Amino acid sequence: MRTFGRGFVLARALSSAEQGARRVELFPAIFSIFYQFGDAFAFLVISCAGLAVIFGMMGIINLAHGEFIMCGAYVTAASARAGLPLPLAIACGAVAAGVVGMALERAVIRHLYHRPLDSIIATWGVSLIATQGVLIMLGPTMQGIGTPLGSTLVGERSYSVYRIVLFASAVGLLVGLYVLFYRTRFGVIARATIQRPAMARALGVDTRRVYGLTFGLGAGLAGLAGGLYAPTMTMVPTMGATFIVESFVTVVVGGADIFLGAAPAAAILAVIRAALTAWYGQLFGQIGLLVAVIVVIRVMPGGLSAFLKRWQR
Amino acid sequence: MNPILEVSKLNKSFGGVTVARDIDFVLDAGAMHCLIGPNGAGKSSFFRLLLGEHAPDSGAIRFSGDDITALRSFERIRKGISVKFQVPGIFKALSVRQNLEVAFQHHLHGASLGGTIRRVLEFTNLTGEAATHAGVLSHGQQQWLEIGMAVGVEPKLLLLDEPTAGMSPDETRKTGEMLHELNARGITILAVEHDMAFVQQIADSVTVLHMGAIFAKGSIDEITEHPGVQEIYLGAADE
Amino acid sequence: MRRLELPDASEAPARQGLRLWLSRLEGPQTMGRGPGFWVAAALAVAAAAAYPAFANDYVVGNAAYFLVWTFMAMGLGVVWGYGGALSFGQTAFFGLAGYTYGVITINIGSAFGATWLALLLSVALGGIFALLIGYFMFYGRIKGVFIGIVTLSVTLVLETFMAQTAGPQWRIGEARLNGFNGMSGMPPLTVPWFGGDVLLYAGTTLYYVLLGMVVLVYMGLRMLLNAPFGNVLVAIRENPERAEMLGYDIRLYQMLAFGLGGALAGTSGVLYTAWGQYITPSSMGLTSAALPIVWVAVGGRRDITATLLGCLLVIAGFQSLTIYGSQYALIVMGVLLVFTVLVTPNGLIYTAMDRVGRLFGEARR
Repeated sequence: MRTFGRGFVLARALSSAEQGARRVELFPAIFSIFYQFGDAFAFLVISCAGLAVIFGMMGIINLAHGEFIMCGAYVTAASARAGLPLPLAIACGAVAAGVVGMALERAVIRHLYHRPLDSIIATWGVSLIATQGVLIMLGPTMQGIGTPLGSTLVGERSYSVYRIVLFASAVGLLVGLYVLFYRTRFGVIARATIQRPAMARALGVDTRRVYGLTFGLGAGLAGLAGGLYAPTMTMVPTMGATFIVESFVTVVVGGADIFLGAAPAAAILAVIRAALTAWYGQLFGQIGLLVAVIVVIRVMPGGLSAFLKRWQR
Repeated sequence: MNPILEVSKLNKSFGGVTVARDIDFVLDAGAMHCLIGPNGAGKSSFFRLLLGEHAPDSGAIRFSGDDITALRSFERIRKGISVKFQVPGIFKALSVRQNLEVAFQHHLHGASLGGTIRRVLEFTNLTGEAATHAGVLSHGQQQWLEIGMAVGVEPKLLLLDEPTAGMSPDETRKTGEMLHELNARGITILAVEHDMAFVQQIADSVTVLHMGAIFAKGSIDEITEHPGVQEIYLGAADE
Repeated sequence: MRRLELPDASEAPARQGLRLWLSRLEGPQTMGRGPGFWVAAALAVAAAAAYPAFANDYVVGNAAYFLVWTFMAMGLGVVWGYGGALSFGQTAFFGLAGYTYGVITINIGSAFGATWLALLLSVALGGIFALLIGYFMFYGRIKGVFIGIVTLSVTLVLETFMAQTAGPQWRIGEARLNGFNGMSGMPPLTVPWFGGDVLLYAGTTLYYVLLGMVVLVYMGLRMLLNAPFGNVLVAIRENPERAEMLGYDIRLYQMLAFGLGGALAGTSGVLYTAWGQYITPSSMGLTSAALPIVWVAVGGRRDITATLLGCLLVIAGFQSLTIYGSQYALIVMGVLLVFTVLVTPNGLIYTAMDRVGRLFGEARR
């Protein structure tokens, strides 16, 4: 499964920070903390982006999210092994998942817009079909691709360069989405459609097409997540489930707005997760996330984005 | 007269929007009072504050002498406040009778429940519709059903949010008669209403809200002749 | 527009105590009323009781396995269909209670009917855990999709937790949790009897015990759902704000319904563990969590009878498909789920019962 968060790294780094007063090794310690945080942040942002776009824009929780991630990862791995350079292969994975997403929207989701809870259940059915279908067609596992870029030494410890690239990708992803939704024609139309569907229709917007594209975008982002993490994971049909809890939790804590909600939620959760993972192991990182989410929804209904919007005014 | 509802220095704002500004409001037991004001005056917010759906930023609400400011909605209802929403708040998948059962079974059981339901059905002219799904009633009948649900357990104070919205003139008149009958039985009534003819039919006094604050208060005649009131209505129409 | 004739409760004489509760076997919240329905129900139970006479012990044990799951399905029916809270995580309570049964029985053994004590404690724990989760959700005013996400996250985290308990340090008394491979070696349910305990291994005796439990729980739920509690639950589903403004603490009702659903899921968990004498973390995983949704959605969530029949039918279908490979069976489940949602949103059995009821005029609500 995921080779994520080596618990001893931060603990060691912190103990070396204590000695740092004598040996002046503060930088490696700080770097280690940032690395842990960045790793968790990247994972949360990248894995939840697709879910957050679909939920924020359409109010639908896509339970086949994990399967779009799996789709992206499989296509990425297959194209990379067919000789495509990794960035191109990842793009292929994202596009493939996006196309599948648009097809799914047209076949199933489109008929369920007035029944959001039913659409969630339908996506769960799709998830079952996809996981089992891939298992039957491609077998219980698929040959993966190794993690590229090797590692680098900071202080005494070595760090995976690819995970630093992932952190950069997460930041790039947020910037890209911001530009898409706030600086392009599609973004303006999409936001208008989401806020006032009737008005948008009256202005001549083909709202069905906008929903279709939005769902495709969300699926494509899930595929991108799969592609980006494909080199670090074992390729199994159920690999999507690895992302599910984290992405759900981030979206729940964040609320409906990806920039005011999901992104800051990812940052906060990343701190919790990195700290708990470092000190108690990955499982407690996950439990900590769950407790965080239950506490957050108890004290701020509507999630972080509703809270921030109220505070902003 | 002894006051049944006393609101003092009530304030509430959402971000930059103030929906209640230093509201002081006293309602005497047995009164039939209307709240009017242009759109966005804060009438619905005031109701929500009274019902505990919003918590005020400051101020206090007393009901029958008890401070209810910190109580939750259902606790206020149990103290004897009842409400009829603007959009008919009925259970559409249940029959008319089941709607009334749910409304009263908290307080009543067995024969007294059956008796109350029979009385309320008569009162609301719905006896013939007892077995009908509430969702297929006419709009006016749905409004009456909800009034019936709100008054069956004899509340001390009935809050009505635009009780005649969407009603035909005939239905409106009947509703007015219903409210007079309820008031005669000792239920204090506070209604938000737009239809000035209806206000004239039912209210013995009127409060005008404007921008979250109390703008004027008095009898119908005093209010209709109040120059400022006409101004705010016209001003609001410009928006 | 449809106008249905509904029973006129107020004309009935006021009943008290047991007779009041028995009168609630029929009512507005459950389909099926009048002698026709009850004769059909009695025939169904009689047929189920006669079944072991025509089948060998192994097949009957397998039928007992179907019955094991009905409790979780009925619990989800109450929470989702009647209460309107779509829980994706009933398997969390299933797994917790199943593991608890294992831990207790491995430690105290099965003498003197101790397994039934273990059953009660485990079910209670499942219910209490559900109440706790329900408290945070409903008192935190969580609604709609978020209930699904939180409950699903709970069950998935529990799965992750149990999967990593492989090491020897993860033991409670005598009981090793055993990580991904799951816990085994607990005793089956045991009935103390003259001349030695009767062990309820998967077989005819267990089948009868389970059949009795299903009938009892089904009747009990019918009475509860037609009681004021059920009325209020449905009212909350239909219009929560109005229900609160009639003086009901809707959070409390929803939490209690959720606790009941958790206890019923726990019942299934214990019975499953006792049936096969093992339980694994994957019983709380994503696929396992989806199955109760499939049963209840396909059967029909708004009526407890439809839920029960749908659950049995889907599991039986699933079993017969598994002969051709369980992967294909899961695909069929997925297709069935999508199909149901798109074509008969009220559920196949529910829709069918509604049609039949209209034909005969008796199964009407």
